[in-house]
Amino acid sequence: MSTNPRKSSTRNNQNDTELVRAIQSGQVDLFPELVLRYERKLYNFGLRMCRDVNDAEDLVQDTFLNVFKYINGFRHEAKFKNWLYKIATSVCLKKRRQKKYEPERTLSLEDFLPRDEAEMVRQTPDWATIPLDQLLNEELADQLNTAIHALPPKYRLVSVLRDIEGFSTSETARILDISSTNVKVRLHRARFFLREELKNYFEHDRNTPSAR
Amino acid sequence: MTGTPHPHDERCLEFFKKLSEYIDEELDEESCRKIEKHVEDCAPCQACLETLKATTGLCRRLKEKPVPAELSDRLKKMARELAI
Repeated sequence: MSTNPRKSSTRNNQNDTELVRAIQSGQVDLFPELVLRYERKLYNFGLRMCRDVNDAEDLVQDTFLNVFKYINGFRHEAKFKNWLYKIATSVCLKKRRQKKYEPERTLSLEDFLPRDEAEMVRQTPDWATIPLDQLLNEELADQLNTAIHALPPKYRLVSVLRDIEGFSTSETARILDISSTNVKVRLHRARFFLREELKNYFEHDRNTPSAR
Repeated sequence: MTGTPHPHDERCLEFFKKLSEYIDEELDEESCRKIEKHVEDCAPCQACLETLKATTGLCRRLKEKPVPAELSDRLKKMARELAI
């Protein structure tokens, strides 16, 4: 039976609100339940944002430590899940600063325009016409995850929050403390970056699939 | 590049910048109608839109990995200790 994602999200938020309010009122023995509820989501967020599994695991642990530390300050003005991701994002950015990675690369839309007529493709390639559930196998998922890791971090954050975690533009803007316009700009460039990676995969690394 | 607009066509460039908002249904009706009309007549822009849609759709379908048992145990222990 299919479920309405909007209804399901509302129900999850109601459940979170009840659980968080109970913890805030002193029932801290319920905290492990909150951890269990979000460990999988945060672990996968960590895997997409960090370069290795150990960092992803640290991100999950540090996020929950911060949640416990600051939970009484959470005022329910946003959904608990959004507040949780705000903390996770901040842990992630702090880790990045500590590791002193190379400076951020900026993506430009110009990079995704054809340089001349010869580079222009006038017909939708086969891979973009096949039903996505049929197209997405393990190999393609690995390619896409590798491409997401190759995105410069500020674009990766927006891409992961919007297209994988399913936050809206305004929710993402609030999580990252940037404007909605900035979210849209970064997301658009990130999608073109990923599209180029997929295009290269289908054109060079794999035979073009045909509808089965 | 696959399915990107004519490099020197201003109208294609204008739509090129709005395709994500179109996919996310964040544009007003008039802008949507203009894009739909344009891609009907412009095969490169249609290819651009379809490949971008497919890319976005594939991201949305990526599956989550399970939490390693060792991490889950560590988190459980940490949460219980915090709750004491």
